Amino acid sequence: MDFAFSSDQDLLRETARNLLARECTPSVLRGHRDDPAAAAPLWNHLRDFSALGAGPTVDLCVFAEETGYVAAPGPFFATTALFQPVLGAIGSGLADRASTGEITGTVALAGADGFWTINKDRVKTFVLDADTVDVVALVEMSDGGGASVTLLEHPSARRVETIDSSRPVFEVDVTAGERIPVDADVVDALVARATVVLAAEMVGTARRLFDMSLQYAKDRRQFGVPIGSFQAIQHKLADMSLDLERAWSAVYYAAMALDADEPTAYRQRAVHVAKAAAGEAAKRAAKDGIQIHGGIGYTWEHDLHLFIRRAYASEALLGTTGWHHDRLGDLLFAKR
Amino acid sequence: MHLAWEPEDEAFRSELIAFLDEHAPSETRAQRDFAGEDAGEDLIPKWARDWQATLFDHGWMIPGYPPELGGRNCTPVQTLVYLEEMTSRGIPRSLHFPGYAIVAPSLLEFGNEDQKLLAPAAIRGDTIWCIGMSEPNAGSDLAALSTRADVHDDHFVVNGQKVWTSYATHSQMCCCYVRTNPDVAKHKGISLLIVPMDTPGIEVRPLRHISGSDGFAEVFFTDVVVPRENLVGGLDDGWRLTQGSLAHERAGLWVEGVARLEQSIDGLVELAKRRGVAADPIVRRRIAEGYQRAASLSALGYKGFTSFAQGTSAPEHSYMKMATSELGKALYELGMEIQGPYGPVTDVDRGEEHGRWVNSFFVSFANTIAGGSSEIQRNIIAQRVLKLPRG
Ligand SMILES: Cc1cc2nc3c(=O)[nH]c(=O)nc-3n(C[C@H](O)[C@H](O)[C@H](O)COP(=O)(O)OP(=O)(O)OC[C@H]3O[C@@H](n4cnc5c(N)ncnc54)[C@H](O)[C@@H]3O)c2cc1C
Repeated sequence: MDFAFSSDQDLLRETARNLLARECTPSVLRGHRDDPAAAAPLWNHLRDFSALGAGPTVDLCVFAEETGYVAAPGPFFATTALFQPVLGAIGSGLADRASTGEITGTVALAGADGFWTINKDRVKTFVLDADTVDVVALVEMSDGGGASVTLLEHPSARRVETIDSSRPVFEVDVTAGERIPVDADVVDALVARATVVLAAEMVGTARRLFDMSLQYAKDRRQFGVPIGSFQAIQHKLADMSLDLERAWSAVYYAAMALDADEPTAYRQRAVHVAKAAAGEAAKRAAKDGIQIHGGIGYTWEHDLHLFIRRAYASEALLGTTGWHHDRLGDLLFAKR
Repeated sequence: MHLAWEPEDEAFRSELIAFLDEHAPSETRAQRDFAGEDAGEDLIPKWARDWQATLFDHGWMIPGYPPELGGRNCTPVQTLVYLEEMTSRGIPRSLHFPGYAIVAPSLLEFGNEDQKLLAPAAIRGDTIWCIGMSEPNAGSDLAALSTRADVHDDHFVVNGQKVWTSYATHSQMCCCYVRTNPDVAKHKGISLLIVPMDTPGIEVRPLRHISGSDGFAEVFFTDVVVPRENLVGGLDDGWRLTQGSLAHERAGLWVEGVARLEQSIDGLVELAKRRGVAADPIVRRRIAEGYQRAASLSALGYKGFTSFAQGTSAPEHSYMKMATSELGKALYELGMEIQGPYGPVTDVDRGEEHGRWVNSFFVSFANTIAGGSSEIQRNIIAQRVLKLPRG
């Protein structure tokens, strides 16, 4: 058991952090809100890291933590965490082009209920970034009970407004096309992996909210002293940092479990734990973050809400905290 | 980053398991939430004394120490493997922790050559120790302690009172923090003395725990004469030692804390099945939430261990102490809740597991109060880890 990063992983983190601090400022996020093209220059940098989608889960998590920290808009998550693994699962020739960043894609899988379990629903929901990617991979339950993938180039997609403009979501109608069969277990496994990557992103977003709140607590003065000297504020920040620390640890534990090919039940538990822990950390960082900021945190002009929006939207994506707890409950009660 | 242990560490685990299979007495496998907390049972029964000595003699008491201190010079990773294996099996090492977990490491770190010689018996359990820190007016604010030791040429004279002193009723020796200089800032006038409990002038009045079991005591000192050579570390340098001894206590505790949480989760699943609420979605979700928090804390413990083994400071210990103790309390309370009206029932025939959940709920408060309360842990995290200004 070793939680230390390799020097390559440390370098990857540093590179990502520096690049994103420069290229993905809050003004890019605000610009992207009105015009998706504002995120195009960012993708020109991130495309160089597309090969992470086909590599170890831990490495992708390292990068995703940093994209989460800046709430990066654009197709990086959808392409690397969802689309590339689907291409890999069906042995598509597009896989190489996706891993060089030449094409982008997303996956349409969730049905009417919004959860990412394979289904036969005619409308797929929560399809990420469907307006900007090249290909939508439609995943459906086939009549025999297995699954199929259909690759659709620029299908029509309806935007569904959410609180979070940094990651727009769409509905895509099921349409005709070549159904390529795929093992349902393989699909479940790649959704599980994407869930861990999203959890890593959420830990990054939660850390941003925490860092902003901690700094504010040191800077802001009331009653002649920094508000961070008040015990009510100190204990909030202590609890926020605890949730963040354990979510971080749960995420990398799950990523290591996936990379090590541990037994299925063991992996499943680790994935549910990671996403639920990240959900708790993100929500706490968001709520307590606003409270610690007081009135300024309530304004549109302050950047805090950009990350709060991302935190709550991610918490609901790929299974809510409650859903993951319920799946964990099923596993615990199925035992023996 | 990887999950597996190295082959030599797994070999170490196998050796331990073989030893336990051969030597561990049946009493160590009772799977209690808190060993030694049953009302009416001897605080430190004979089987527990024998078991501690057996562990010592085979180098399995503190395996990271050399053989003369009850160990086998194993690596820090192997110590972690050892703690994993012992705690996941619920096998206690000792039923009195102060001697091996706090006193011995402190004497080995801060004591002179003669004082270091007291360590083996403390670890083997041949000498039972108690720790005199808390007083009626000095709990969380330990530095406010007022038990006084007047300094004479070759001895001290101690007057004052300690309270909540665990094992004082059974101890031969006390590590006692005293005020040797009342005229300086409160942290600067404290010293640590080794006080034999049979010294004239010491009176021990037992106090029972909330669970009804024996456990701690009040200790009164009236003109107690303590030889000069019983001073540990420098005169007025005791505060530094309090920080050291509590650190020893915290370092390995998380493994035990996490194992206890896992044992509670397993117990809650079985309890829910027996009580016919295994299909209740609220019960299932709440147990699952507990599992998620326990599992993520376990991961945090291992992460902290990685930093610790690399020699960087590991603030994870404060997080782990606070979080495992608070979660433990919540899980026992959930066990009561699952039983509905039967939650408080301890009747052997009617209650679940002899009142395990309600009893352990009470006992679990020890962990959120003693050794730095949860509130104090949050203060430590805020001020030392997050570097927030003191209020
Ligand atoms: C089972 C058990 C065994 C023990 N064994 C020993 C022993 O062997 N030797 C020994 O010396 N002592 C022992 N103790 C005593 C223990 O160390 C003290 O109980 C502990 O330090 C708290 O002190 P107190 O009880 O005086 O509570 P107080 O310090 O009076 O605290 C009361 C409440 O106020 C809160 N509080 C206090 N200060 C602050 C602050 N600055 N910020 C926020 N909240 C604060 C506390 O968190 C707590 O909730 C034991 C206690 C227990 C329960």
